[in-house]
Amino acid sequence: MKNILIALSVALNLLFCGFAMANTAEEPSSANELMWTQVKDGAQGVTTSKGQAHNQLINTYDMRVFQLRSDLLAPAIMAALFGMIIVFVLFIKVNGISKLHGGFSGKMVHRWSKFDVSIHWLGAIPCLLLILTGLTLLAGRFFFHPYLSEGLWAGLINAAKLVHDYMAIPFMFGWLLMTVLWAKNQMPKMYDIKWMLYVGGYINFGPFKGKHPDAGFANAGEKLWFWTFALFGLVICASGMLLLFPNVFEPSRTLSLIALVLHSVSAIIITAFSIVHIFMATVMSEGGMECMVSGYCDENWATQHHNLWFDEIKQNGTLTYKK
Amino acid sequence: MATMKFLCDTKRCIECNGCVTACKNENDSALEWGIQRRRVVTLKDGEPGEASISVACMHCTDAPCMAVCPTDCFYRTEDGIVLHNKDTCIGCGYCFYACPFGAPQFPQKSTFGGRGKMDKCTFCAGGPEEDHSEAERLKYGSNRIAEGKLPMCAELCATKSLLAGDAGVVSNIYRERVASRGSNKAIWG
Repeated sequence: MKNILIALSVALNLLFCGFAMANTAEEPSSANELMWTQVKDGAQGVTTSKGQAHNQLINTYDMRVFQLRSDLLAPAIMAALFGMIIVFVLFIKVNGISKLHGGFSGKMVHRWSKFDVSIHWLGAIPCLLLILTGLTLLAGRFFFHPYLSEGLWAGLINAAKLVHDYMAIPFMFGWLLMTVLWAKNQMPKMYDIKWMLYVGGYINFGPFKGKHPDAGFANAGEKLWFWTFALFGLVICASGMLLLFPNVFEPSRTLSLIALVLHSVSAIIITAFSIVHIFMATVMSEGGMECMVSGYCDENWATQHHNLWFDEIKQNGTLTYKK
Repeated sequence: MATMKFLCDTKRCIECNGCVTACKNENDSALEWGIQRRRVVTLKDGEPGEASISVACMHCTDAPCMAVCPTDCFYRTEDGIVLHNKDTCIGCGYCFYACPFGAPQFPQKSTFGGRGKMDKCTFCAGGPEEDHSEAERLKYGSNRIAEGKLPMCAELCATKSLLAGDAGVVSNIYRERVASRGSNKAIWG
């Protein structure tokens, strides 16, 4: 028994000696390598500087974010704005617009309250300015800067940043109010599938010609736009808050870069949809723009584009005409 | 032309912050309150294996700040020094997010979390304005490179830990030091 204990203690001693010797032999290289690895992993030290992130030597992140911005996101937002405009102009040249079959009836049906119209423009006007300034901020250096003098470019980009910062605030209120107050009219219904199959009856040739699929207060296209705007609006507002108020939220540098990418992706999607939305309201659908000017729509427009809604308000007695 | 680089020998850095003071003093005209272009970071402070390193802009060859800037205000001099134009800068902070070394710093200004014009180490090479003009002095600080001198931080480093100059020359000095220390492993710490 005693022998066994002695043997055990010797063995343990040897084991520890072995570790200790290994440690002394390996110390310089392993300690150095360990420190370098820790530095690359973002190890923090002590510094007298009060500068932001100054106690950290290296912040590591995926550097492909720059290529993503310059090679993909910047051209994509140009395509989402100018590309979509070109596509839509060509489409209207070929297809023509959606005319009211019976012409204007002159009887104006109440569709939106004054408050609804105002929250629409509270979001819409800043949105347009945000798209233009945001495009300048994301893609301007590649598409505008080469053709401008340094002074002109500096003025443009400074103005873009300023407008982008200020317009963010009313846009967020507009987005929030529209999303919350209008959601009840935007719930998907079965007849929306048929609407999609007929492309809303806006195609003026082939088997689609003259078709008018059913639609309630909002048609399937409007619902798609609404939910896209609600979702990507949320992403763009949240990421924008991180970028606009770094003093409040104190996001890490890596999180800020992620926010920047999410902000750009959402902007590209919202821009493309906005162009479609603007074209539909102003050019494509005759009589459509009136809804967001006075809040009233022509009776013929209502029966042609939102037949189920018109039938419903006629039945339950909420139908009111403009006095 | 040369490719200018900084190198800090952690075996020599004694955390005296002389480089920080030298930089502050040399570029005082351009530095707003609270901004410091160079700092010394000490790892494992007070523990075995403590190491200090002086950091500022590393004047990267493939600079992330340059890649991310929405205003395209960065440029590289023929000496490989990364500089920026404060007139074009909008203070968006993207370069701060992108820089792995935390070099870009901003004075707090304007509305929201708005930042002023970005400031960072210029390798004591001024800015896009005419060399030694008043505008350059007020926006970027000194321009020692135009006088044929190296950055003040490295010139005043008491232990010659912080080296500045052409990458080839700097790395040769460092290689000789490491060789004379007798261990090729004695690089960090």
